[in-house]
Amino acid sequence: MSYRVAVIGDLDTTTGMALAGATYAHVHATKDETLAKLKEFLASDEIGLILLTHRVAEELGFEFRQAMRAKRLLPLVLRIPDKTGYTPKVDELREVIRRTVGAEIMVKKEGE
Amino acid sequence: MAAALAVSPTRMELMKLRKRVGLAQRGHDLLKEKMDALVMEFFEVLRRIQDSRAKALEQLSKAHRALSNCFAVMGTLETMQAARETKRELQLEISTRFIMGITVPAVEVGEVERNAVARGYSLHMTSSELDEASREFERALKLLVELAELEASAFAIAKELEKTKRRVNALEYILIPRLRGALKFIMMRLDEMERENFTRLKRIKAILEERG
Repeated sequence: MSYRVAVIGDLDTTTGMALAGATYAHVHATKDETLAKLKEFLASDEIGLILLTHRVAEELGFEFRQAMRAKRLLPLVLRIPDKTGYTPKVDELREVIRRTVGAEIMVKKEGE
Repeated sequence: MAAALAVSPTRMELMKLRKRVGLAQRGHDLLKEKMDALVMEFFEVLRRIQDSRAKALEQLSKAHRALSNCFAVMGTLETMQAARETKRELQLEISTRFIMGITVPAVEVGEVERNAVARGYSLHMTSSELDEASREFERALKLLVELAELEASAFAIAKELEKTKRRVNALEYILIPRLRGALKFIMMRLDEMERENFTRLKRIKAILEERG
């Protein structure tokens, strides 16, 4: 199956990704609007990848996490930094590792 | 603990329980093996994520720099106009793969980079900065697609890992001790009955000898 790419974020990110060929774009303005758009993207069968800036994801907060838990395997959702390179301090993946495997992993990661 | 499992102390029950313990133990061993395999797979993916993420983020920030340049040279509105004119039809081929019974996505993306003519904006109205920005963003997008695949796999594996771990722990710390407790209870009870019987027989023998 072939899929399209969707972007949600600030103007710079959406413009850049549009130049790169991402089919759908939404410029984040208000939380409700973005949330509705995100739900629409998630429900679409055409979209295989949703790129979302960390800042937007953080602003959506709980609703975003809830949507992530409820979603199917596709579309994939990836959070990316925006033009300021903003990434949250708490790495979600690292959090998952700590929860699933335990503290010993952190030690190993520090050593790498 | 054993009290939680109500059993009648009979030999039949003892045999049944032994079978159950054996089964639970085998299930536990299998699950544990699965967990080890999952952990190995998980680490492999994590290692790849680290590389991939570093590369993708670096490329993305490069792309943003190029875009800022383009904004400065061409003007913001003109750049956005060009973005609207661009052909936006990148296709991803996504299928699913199975790792130890977990579905993970496998994304294939063709050539993301296009030449300036294929992008679709008018060439004589735009500057070369725009071409530059587009190229950088195309490269970034390609890397991000790979990263997305890896991260989705990692999350899927982590979820399964959590589930497996819970099962292993339930078997190891709840079910198996409980069964063993019940087993022990029955064995003690049977031994006790044996001893009771023994003294009873002795006593009867003594009484019979007295009479005779």
